[in-house]
Amino acid sequence: MTLDREQVFERVEEVLIDSLGVDTEDVTKDATLSGDLGAESIDFLDIVFRLEKAFSIKISKGELFPDDILNNPDNVENGRITPAGLEQFKRSMPHADFAEFEKDPSVAKVPDLFTVDTIVNYVQAKLAAA
Amino acid sequence: MKFGLIDRVIELEPARRIVAVKAVSLSEEYLSEHFPTFPVLPGVFMLEAMVEAAGWLVRVAGDFDRSVILLASTRGVTYKRFVEPGHLLRVEVDCRRLAPEASEFAGACYCGDTEAVKGRFTLRHMNLADRSSALAATDRRIVDEARKRWALLYRIADDNQPS
Amino acid sequence: MRWIWIDKFTEFASRSHGTAVKNVTLAEEYLADHFPGYPVMPPCLVIEGMAQTAGILVGEARDFKENVILAKIRKAEFDDYAHPGDQLRYHAKIESIDESAAATAGEVFRNDEIIGRIDLIFSYVNRSNSVAGLPTHNFVFTDQFMRLFEDIRGETDGQGATP
Repeated sequence: MTLDREQVFERVEEVLIDSLGVDTEDVTKDATLSGDLGAESIDFLDIVFRLEKAFSIKISKGELFPDDILNNPDNVENGRITPAGLEQFKRSMPHADFAEFEKDPSVAKVPDLFTVDTIVNYVQAKLAAA
Repeated sequence: MKFGLIDRVIELEPARRIVAVKAVSLSEEYLSEHFPTFPVLPGVFMLEAMVEAAGWLVRVAGDFDRSVILLASTRGVTYKRFVEPGHLLRVEVDCRRLAPEASEFAGACYCGDTEAVKGRFTLRHMNLADRSSALAATDRRIVDEARKRWALLYRIADDNQPS
Repeated sequence: MRWIWIDKFTEFASRSHGTAVKNVTLAEEYLADHFPGYPVMPPCLVIEGMAQTAGILVGEARDFKENVILAKIRKAEFDDYAHPGDQLRYHAKIESIDESAAATAGEVFRNDEIIGRIDLIFSYVNRSNSVAGLPTHNFVFTDQFMRLFEDIRGETDGQGATP
């Protein structure tokens, strides 16, 4: 399947509208899934299923939304992500933008890594690799 | 056993918002099957509580002018935690749109400060007499029962205000 | 009130789809209140019927090792409703399934006429992702659900539709 970024964005937008009950205006490229769009943990699973269907791709557990990194005590200290943890995040999420996060890598800010753009980047890379 | 998922209404902003309570108790028979070793309020009953609260808002806003109010659709009802017996579930529902025969709501239920469920749904409201005038008496009966139930749920007397 | 909202499976294709029926009868007590003089099965209980049909389908796909719990109602739409004397048929199919969750899509038929569409997401509550206080044993697939499943498995060898 060959789609340009705009087409990928449109389908991702539809997935988010259907799974989160938000409106088109809400789905901006920098909108965070949990903060701005109100996504709960079950919504993340719903989004993965819908993306798989929309793009005919298979998304392995933790590939789009890594969920194990925070469980490792080496990666977290006093509510902040350690350098080792940051490395692991970057390796697991080449589709995310860490510029803002690196300025203040607190656990509370981890959800902000998951933006609409993060998903679009992931899908584009996945389609290109197929 | 009476079928009703709202025990008390504690706040009503006419046509805009309603806050109600569902008390969850081991005395509720179905809990012995949901689940035998782990009794919790069924998720669909949390939705039913929101639907009923919304239904009361509609009834009062229209002065009980429609007898039958039913869930028409839901989009994205998300469950976040189990609700066990001994807890009071606070049901908060906001009205997004209210027309004579249809309405739209967004609601959430809370156990203390924790959100147990949130979701959006629509209702349809009707009178049976619209299909057959012979059913007008049934409409009146349903409305009578509803008014009585409302009087129990929403008592403005000060001894029934939550502290 | 019991907590079993399907009566029998008529079709069960492992890891794919299944159909269960539910008969609606005046003998069900909640109908006296919903509504007086006009008994109609609450849509939330129809959602539960679909959840039990789809939940058993998902449970079996995971060899009944998981506590399959309704986590989200993606959508539920009702064109019409069920009354005493009706037979509801829930047809559910697994759309997606992995090691954390499953998504199902389904239709509700009333005496062969489609009256609703219900899409659900289930997640698994088990030892590995248990929040403190949750049971670690299997609490969802009780005897009564397993009996329904065993009955259809006996008829079809779990392979597909009844002849």
